Amino acid sequence: MVDELARKVMDGARVGAADALELYRQAPTHLLGRLADTIRARRHPPRIVTYIIDRNVNYTNVCVARCNFCAFYRPVGSSEGYVLGFEEIFRKIDETMAVGGNQLLLQGGHNPDLPIAWYEDLFRAIKGRYPELRLHALSPPEILHISRINHVPVPEVVARLVAAGLDSIPGGGAEILVDRVRKLLNCYGKASADEWIDVMRHAHRAGLRATATMMYGTVETDEERIEHLIRVRDLQDETGGFTAFIAWSFQPEHTERGGVEATGIDYLRTLALARIVLDNVDNLQASWVTQGGKVGQLSLAFGANDMGSVMIEENVVRAAGASYCMDEVEIVTNIEDAGFVPKRRNMHYEILGDPIFREREVPRMLELATARSAGDTSVPEQLRQYPARSRAGKQLRLAQ
Amino acid sequence: MTSSSTFDRLLDRVNAGERLTADDIAQLAATPDILSVGMLADALRRRLHGTRVTYARVAACAFDASFANAVPPVAREIRITGCPTSLTSARAAVESAKAVAGDRLVSGFCWQDVERLGSNAGLPVARVLAELRAAGLEALAEMPMDAIDDEAAVIDTLRQAGFDRLRLTVAKAPAAERTGAMLRAAALQARFGGIRAIGPLPTVLDALRPTTGYDDVKAVAIARLAAPNIPTVQVDWQRDGPKLAQVALTFGADDLDNVTASDEAPDGRRRAPVEEVRRNIEAAGFTAAERDGRFHPVS
Ligand code: SF4
Repeated sequence: MVDELARKVMDGARVGAADALELYRQAPTHLLGRLADTIRARRHPPRIVTYIIDRNVNYTNVCVARCNFCAFYRPVGSSEGYVLGFEEIFRKIDETMAVGGNQLLLQGGHNPDLPIAWYEDLFRAIKGRYPELRLHALSPPEILHISRINHVPVPEVVARLVAAGLDSIPGGGAEILVDRVRKLLNCYGKASADEWIDVMRHAHRAGLRATATMMYGTVETDEERIEHLIRVRDLQDETGGFTAFIAWSFQPEHTERGGVEATGIDYLRTLALARIVLDNVDNLQASWVTQGGKVGQLSLAFGANDMGSVMIEENVVRAAGASYCMDEVEIVTNIEDAGFVPKRRNMHYEILGDPIFREREVPRMLELATARSAGDTSVPEQLRQYPARSRAGKQLRLAQ
Repeated sequence: MTSSSTFDRLLDRVNAGERLTADDIAQLAATPDILSVGMLADALRRRLHGTRVTYARVAACAFDASFANAVPPVAREIRITGCPTSLTSARAAVESAKAVAGDRLVSGFCWQDVERLGSNAGLPVARVLAELRAAGLEALAEMPMDAIDDEAAVIDTLRQAGFDRLRLTVAKAPAAERTGAMLRAAALQARFGGIRAIGPLPTVLDALRPTTGYDDVKAVAIARLAAPNIPTVQVDWQRDGPKLAQVALTFGADDLDNVTASDEAPDGRRRAPVEEVRRNIEAAGFTAAERDGRFHPVS
């Protein structure tokens, strides 16, 4: 049965849910890798492996969603809650551009005290100052949250954010696109599976490209993992809006849910399966942030063709216990050592060039930055201009 | 890998119990196709060990610390870390470890330590080995092949001194040099016997230029394929980390060495290390079996 399925995959046939399940459960790990690697090689023949230099900035950690797998958020009114000021964000952009970065990945909690005008003003301010910088911002649940608290329909939110400077959308918040799982993870309220898909559909129709993600290793069954992949594939058939797919394992430390992390082999098998099932998504990223540099590099033999981001800053995964760091030099070393040719790219996966450190001197970066330095509880001045909705937010404004 | 027909031919030979030649090994070491190398090593590993993966809980204890406090009952081996300058102190450390160990194996020191103890005491290494052995030392913790000039003489000396569960290691040789070392290990085994295990991943970590995942799994696979006459290929659970160690099991490794013997779960971990080890082994499709320091199964 597995041999027959392997032949089918090698012949380029589409794999259905039952076949995917059989492969995932029964195929030896190396065979799954071999199938995924063959598909990667067909799609990306010149042995190029890409990466992007960008910064993952979390503009706020205040969140009303309270997903039970999240170690990053702080409830409204928490003394550890923060919102970054525009100037702080500009400083981060300056640092990012100094090491060759061309994109800001901007995501945050569902903060009830940030109206849509705050996002519009921020995006305009960034684009006014850095016209070349790409804004890869706001996952579907954040867009839904903005839509809900401002009573503005999703297509209009998307249109207004695009008018303000939004370039593309990160695929965060997908977790597993099955409502049974979402209810158990307490993330059904922030976006049901259909809602996540719908926001993406609107965004794709508005001309935005996006990534799709999957956080596995919590309560989902193998069948549900596959259902997630098929939902992404179905939308991609419809819109063609996804540039890439990224899978990462649930990081349990400091989370309400707790438990243990899925193993490295589980990651490589899941990645390979994603490459096999997602026959209409060009790019698969290696999640070295959750798997470490070594298994991250091995992802290149299990279907990945992209090493993701030289992150510069990361807060969410670190809060849950993983703190791997690779600067551009190390990412390039890993790509070349695996027999591939490294190329810098943008969010649309257009090749920008060779490694920047070979063109000019850039400082080595052996540690990822955080959103804020420890103990910094400052409240940005400009928050005053935006009305708060929560009681704690109102009190904070009055105290400013 | 050059072509699928070359791979198929090599796989047939491995499955038939034939040994790959030095040229085959060199060709495999040069290919970026780690999946093919991994499949070959996995086939050989399964022929030798089936689906069984062993692990050993080791209590590591500095030579000058209190062994009584550092050795939990579940430890299956006591490994002395570091080395004093004098033979008298080294012997005393072994005696203290042995007193706590009971019938469990005591290991410690590396070959260079033995040489240094000999030169400090003005004694030949054979005498140093004899004294340490008399004090209760059963195995050297490390024998870094890349740091030993005359490997044959060293192995001969150790065998003559009664050390019969040798564990060859690599200190920091680059990947290219490790292939030669693995082939030499196989030749030494054929000549002297007594080599129980190889640990092909470097014991000395370079923070600025760490080895990569490809380097590591290929080194494991090459060790397995180059030295089919050495029973065990090991990775180190603590040093190499759970993720890489687990993946290495599918690239030819059959043993997880140096699992922490403490059953406490510090740092918020919610599972004891041994449960984590077993979970990782099973998630890789193998069956987990605990062993003691002498490589005997623990029931
Ligand atoms: S995952 Fe996002 S939405 Fe959920 S609690 Fe964390 S910050 Fe909020």
